[in-house]
Amino acid sequence: MEKVNFKTLKRLISVKRWLQAIGHQSIVLATNAGGISYLFVDTVRTFAKTRLRWKSTMDQMMKMSVTSLPLVFLTALFTGMVLTLQSAYQLRLFAAEQFTSDLVALSMTRELGPVLTAMVVAGRVGASIAAELGTMKVTEQIDALKASAVDPVRYLVVPRFVAGVIGLFVLTIYADCIGIFGGYVIAVFKLGISSHQYIKRSIDVLMIKDVITGLIKAFFFGGIIATVGCYFGFKAQGGAEGVGRATTIAVVTALVMIIASDALFTAIFYFF
Amino acid sequence: MIEIRGLFKSFGVSPVLKGLDLSIRDGETLVIIGRSGCGKSVLLKHIMGLLEPDQGQVLIDDVDIFSLDDRQLEGFRLRLGMLFQGAALFDSLSVEENVGFSLYEHTRLPIPVIRKKVAEKLDLVNLSGIEDLMPSELSGGMKKRVGLARAICNEPKIILYDEPTTGLDPITADAINDLILRMQEKLKVTSVVVTHDMTSAYKVANRIAMLYGGRIVGIGTPEEIRQTNNPIIKQFVTGSAEGPITDKHK
Repeated sequence: MEKVNFKTLKRLISVKRWLQAIGHQSIVLATNAGGISYLFVDTVRTFAKTRLRWKSTMDQMMKMSVTSLPLVFLTALFTGMVLTLQSAYQLRLFAAEQFTSDLVALSMTRELGPVLTAMVVAGRVGASIAAELGTMKVTEQIDALKASAVDPVRYLVVPRFVAGVIGLFVLTIYADCIGIFGGYVIAVFKLGISSHQYIKRSIDVLMIKDVITGLIKAFFFGGIIATVGCYFGFKAQGGAEGVGRATTIAVVTALVMIIASDALFTAIFYFF
Repeated sequence: MIEIRGLFKSFGVSPVLKGLDLSIRDGETLVIIGRSGCGKSVLLKHIMGLLEPDQGQVLIDDVDIFSLDDRQLEGFRLRLGMLFQGAALFDSLSVEENVGFSLYEHTRLPIPVIRKKVAEKLDLVNLSGIEDLMPSELSGGMKKRVGLARAICNEPKIILYDEPTTGLDPITADAINDLILRMQEKLKVTSVVVTHDMTSAYKVANRIAMLYGGRIVGIGTPEEIRQTNNPIIKQFVTGSAEGPITDKHK
């Protein structure tokens, strides 16, 4: 029989550990993907079947959207300004500075408006949903809901989902406007483009399709943020540490899903 | 009557309940004792239908609760009330909204009627006039009593108590014990109390059952439990560090 020396054995064990870790992570990934999809379907089904809790939905809308306005304002404003400066820097080489407004308007409505707003809301609201529901889970409040014969999906998830979808939709329209305004400020007061020309070109270049594709993205991003936040909140266990972990995973997962689905949507809208 | 037959439950690779059998008679107060982490709360959550067993049945009035669909199970749960270990009050709702939660959710009673019922239940747990307070403004003992008021607001036939005296000072704990006795006397309910507090167990129980190793290892009246020769029960009720329970882990 061939002898296996210590070094080879150590390497084999290390490879085995690697494979185990990959296997474990794959199972976790598949479980979470399945769980999030299941919760999404359950939420939509519950929304369709039962009466919406309007008061709770409006409260969530207030918490998620209205309080996010200042942050979305600053993010969109500065992004619009930076985008204008960076575009002008390149376009100047071709004596095409007047096209800056076209670039800013299209970029904001098709891409940056929905994605940046979703990222801001995912960081702010997704974390808060996961923390709130996670705390409810570890303090047995979710069990208490079930014990009172109340479906947690109807009571907790549906209002957050509806608030997330509508909220992000509205916030994206707001971010688009503020971003274009940010570009306007720089273009008119710094680059010397006339106010009339900037506004006219922005309106002329934008087509309904551009705005709608951005808003369709926002619609889905809102659903992703709410569903992912609720899913990881429901999965939290083990006290404060578990809630913290759930919050972090919820934000990271929502961000990854937003970026991945943005790429998918952009490809679909590009080809069709 | 609650009948538990051959209940098995594992979490991952650790088995918690290993073929547990137990009968709880109508109108009695059964106290389930056992070491921390032995599966007492898990058993209670099975009775409530909050956890599904790997195997076995929980029959309440001859209905296997795990054969019911979600909607039927929700309806069934209204016949039960549960006091959770940490009271589990909804912290975004006031005391009044917490206590009347089931009534607000499942009935079309006018708000003044619900408020009156809430006030009655709060009076029953000696907490009149705190309807407008938020859970964060209550002490531990008050939270438990509000949790109890919420559990009985729906006038259930069965009340489940998960560690009702844990974390309370002896005087408040005794007040909770008195409340459990009063609930049985006034509402004629069947009560299942999970605890490892023997003072509480002896005071409120009609019968005491000991959960050990995933099964019920002994059941009897408080007097029978006090005078038992079963070494496992004896070690637990006397609170001795030496004995078969601790020897097994050495």
